[in-house]
Amino acid sequence: MSAKSGMKSKSMFAEMSRHTLILFVLLFAFFPLYMMLQISLKDNAQFTNNLWLPMAPFHWANWQVGWLAIRDFIANTVVVSVFSTVLTLAFATITAYVFARYKFFGSEFLFFLLLGVMMMVGVASLVPLFTLLRDLQLLNTLTALVILSVSGGQVMCVYVLKNFIEDIPKDLFDAASIDGAGDFGSIWNVVLPMSGAILSTLGILRFIGTWNDFIMPMLVMRDQKLYTLGIGLMSLSSGYDRQWGPLMAAYCIASIPLVLIFVFTMRLFVKGLSSGAVKG
Amino acid sequence: MWRSFSDSIKRRLNCYVLILPTIILVGLFCYYPALSGLYYSFFDWDGALHREFMGLGNYMEALTDKRLLWAFFIILIFVVANMVKMIPSIIVALAIFHLKSKRSQYLYRVLFVIPMIIPGVVMILMWRFFYEPNVGALNRLLDALGIIDISSPPMWLASPYLVIPSIIFMGFPWVGVVSVLIFLAGLQGIPDSVYEAADLDGCGAFRRVFAIELPLILSQVRLTMVLMIIGTLGGFEQILLLCNEFGGPNGVANVPGLYMFRMAFMEGRVGYACALGMIVFLIIMGLTIINEKFVRIDK
Repeated sequence: MSAKSGMKSKSMFAEMSRHTLILFVLLFAFFPLYMMLQISLKDNAQFTNNLWLPMAPFHWANWQVGWLAIRDFIANTVVVSVFSTVLTLAFATITAYVFARYKFFGSEFLFFLLLGVMMMVGVASLVPLFTLLRDLQLLNTLTALVILSVSGGQVMCVYVLKNFIEDIPKDLFDAASIDGAGDFGSIWNVVLPMSGAILSTLGILRFIGTWNDFIMPMLVMRDQKLYTLGIGLMSLSSGYDRQWGPLMAAYCIASIPLVLIFVFTMRLFVKGLSSGAVKG
Repeated sequence: MWRSFSDSIKRRLNCYVLILPTIILVGLFCYYPALSGLYYSFFDWDGALHREFMGLGNYMEALTDKRLLWAFFIILIFVVANMVKMIPSIIVALAIFHLKSKRSQYLYRVLFVIPMIIPGVVMILMWRFFYEPNVGALNRLLDALGIIDISSPPMWLASPYLVIPSIIFMGFPWVGVVSVLIFLAGLQGIPDSVYEAADLDGCGAFRRVFAIELPLILSQVRLTMVLMIIGTLGGFEQILLLCNEFGGPNGVANVPGLYMFRMAFMEGRVGYACALGMIVFLIIMGLTIINEKFVRIDK
């Protein structure tokens, strides 16, 4: 036995223990998901008798019941999230472009004001925001949720995009304006093609944020028909005569869109978050 | 001359027009509520007709409000608990980072993101189900192990003694995806030369972690900590979903955000609620400024 092979087996051992540790943590992290999935296929008798393991017969109808219970909530949430994401990115890109490329009277002050929003604390303006929406007659409308999400997302997106656009070589913009492109032309032909990755990362984060929003919809929405997912699921889960199968199926269905988005954008998401989140 | 002047005016006007949507949205829905919240906090206001100026009255009341003091005490416990709960993320990030195989590094990253991508409300409701006294997973596990008797089960979320530990335990194993990814980014930023130097000095694994890696990702740890503290201080979604709007049994799990919410929307004390919001804001501000100072000294 040479010293070298001893070291090798030691490092093998370290590697194995790392894998074991990670898998152990993953086991716990996935446990709620596992419970959600396997209970979603059980009826209440199966749920009472055998909580832990999947059990035949599988009640696929639970998923149908769950779907019917939350499909309106899903539709509302999709509408709010899609509009929020698109409008947030559209406004933020234009604003970031202007701040990145032009100096004009008050530009630094306005940008400073914009950054000041980062210092604000959501909970402090929750109550006045509610009274504002009431005065604007926006309570109980999906529009209110879109507006709040778009205004809340501006600062972060403008800040990130401005830094990004400033790094685009000036020649590209000069070339575009020689070709007769105006501001929108430059944004369309220069900024958008170059900022696909960053725009998608920001867009995904905004979409997930809006999808998961709970407090604001709870304050704003009265009409059960207009509930978004968070409050909808909460109202479903607090009934007395609970059918656990359909309830868990509803939880699963509510999670699917985010999982799908993640699966399709995995590479981007994992990379974008880890490289872009903290630089310097 | 005139033409270029008018052109430049036109371009300036153009700038203002282009940024108008953002400015209006931010002004109306970020600045106006914050400022009007400050204004309302000086009034005794029920949110409708009755509005009476009372100067610092709301703030004076807050200083002696025993329920608010309790809420701040509880939130302090949660902040400390959440700091401890950052440790698993650091350990997992270190474990993933030191894996030899790049493929399994990537695979584990992806696997860790999946449970975290589940909507927060769903996760909280799942934990509420785990804690259900009669049908919940936790009590049935303990019953099967013979630790408890399911006919007189512990009421995890309804007992004033158990509710705080139960809320703290929630989310076990406490691996936050964003923090893991942020820590990983920090670890990847450590130059190879540092590791080579450590190897030459015969630095062992434990010393490597405590003398090199933790100090070098300190700025990432601090960033996550700041985000966590801000989120914890202002948050009340968890407690609202797990318990109720009163903060659980006897209100022991009442936190400042929840107290503010209840004052405004259930007890019709909008002015007082705005003052509470301002107090939370000032505390977060203060902590942020202190943290900024520390960061400066560090660099």
